[in-house]
Amino acid sequence: MIVKDWCMYCGECAGLCPRNLIEVKETSLIFHEEGCKDCRICVQICPVEALEK
Amino acid sequence: MLVTDVLVIGAGPAGSSAAKHAALNGAEVLMIDKKSEIGAPKRCAEGVSKEGLKRLGIEPNPRWVTKELSGVCMVSPNGTQVVLDEEKVKLPEAGYILERKVFDKFMAMDAGRTGVQIMVKTLATGMERDGDRIIVSAEHMGHSFKIQTKILIAADGPESRVGRWAGLKTSMKPKNMESCAQFEMVNVDMNEPDCIEFHFGSVAPGGYAWIFPKGDDIANVGLGILNTVTEKTAYQHLLEFVDQCPATQNAQPVELNIGGDPVGGVIKDLVADNVLVVGDAAGMVNPLTGGGIASGMTGGLIAGEVAAQAIKNEDWSAKGMKEYKTRCQEEIGDSFKKYLKAKEYMLSLSDEELDTIAEAFRDSDFESINTTELLKKLVKISPKALLKLGKLF
Repeated sequence: MIVKDWCMYCGECAGLCPRNLIEVKETSLIFHEEGCKDCRICVQICPVEALEK
Repeated sequence: MLVTDVLVIGAGPAGSSAAKHAALNGAEVLMIDKKSEIGAPKRCAEGVSKEGLKRLGIEPNPRWVTKELSGVCMVSPNGTQVVLDEEKVKLPEAGYILERKVFDKFMAMDAGRTGVQIMVKTLATGMERDGDRIIVSAEHMGHSFKIQTKILIAADGPESRVGRWAGLKTSMKPKNMESCAQFEMVNVDMNEPDCIEFHFGSVAPGGYAWIFPKGDDIANVGLGILNTVTEKTAYQHLLEFVDQCPATQNAQPVELNIGGDPVGGVIKDLVADNVLVVGDAAGMVNPLTGGGIASGMTGGLIAGEVAAQAIKNEDWSAKGMKEYKTRCQEEIGDSFKKYLKAKEYMLSLSDEELDTIAEAFRDSDFESINTTELLKKLVKISPKALLKLGKLF
């Protein structure tokens, strides 16, 4: 997952990730991609289009 | 390893309320928050009802109240305004506009004064069960450590992972998560500067736009949308709204806020062995308004009391703490059901229907209108809109 510079770390992606794979820190996002099923919900719902698969 | 009776993860208003009431009732409490500054950045339009604060026994403080409101102004897609006076019509979230960065800290300070130990810049990274205790892994300033607790209160917001670590179904679906974007702006020119303003219709598909005055010419200007009904992002819709709204033609942003708001109602699974979920993490957000400060803090109060009692009873199993779910349902969940219906109705109306309704109600004296009269008026102006309402009930 590519996290763009303008990510606001709001965590909306984490709340919607069906597999609970996204960890939101104060100024970074950690994707535990080994469990990712490529549903792309996180990419679709980002309010500022900051995620790219 | 740190050892405590109750560990609260997340120091927002719900978390601080839970921590405070657990400590007031005799429990040893540790509250951690991943942020370096409690309350910042805000992810909220900052409105709270007077009644909500009163119920919680919180006196308004000029250090965190930026504006006292007198009513609500609803704006339909063609700009028709319907003003509802707070004294005549009881409306949720119409009361005060807060300065959340100050309010959240004050609530955490209240908790701290009751004996709660607080750790900022501390992130929970995982949890495991150890007999009848829970061990939470955490990180603080590059150091990893563990916290052993009897009860874990998950107050970690809409992005909550803690509830899911405990096996609770706390994950949200896109149709239940409003995607929100907001500017705090200066030089905002409002027609009704003592009212919060809601703009309905295609300006914010699946939600609404708002202007919440913060005193002088300052206001939170934002909107929430459902990603399931629009191709554009919340931020794109916000830029369009600010560009078109008469009140913001000369306004300038001084802050941008982004975040999700869970509006699907209170989740079913609030309790597991050793674990309670509160606030946004538990969906304690008014589905119609998106406001969740007072309801989250009410949930926190109940969680704190139930957790402290469970410690006294030496029973922190799900069964031992089931009172939490019952009380939350009675005090928060039941009232949300009617707001869910109202929201569903609002979202079913087209721009034209919203305009027709707003124009009919624009000059109404709401003091003299009761439910029957409202329905009569709706039959007259838009039978189609009434039909949609009928289908919901």
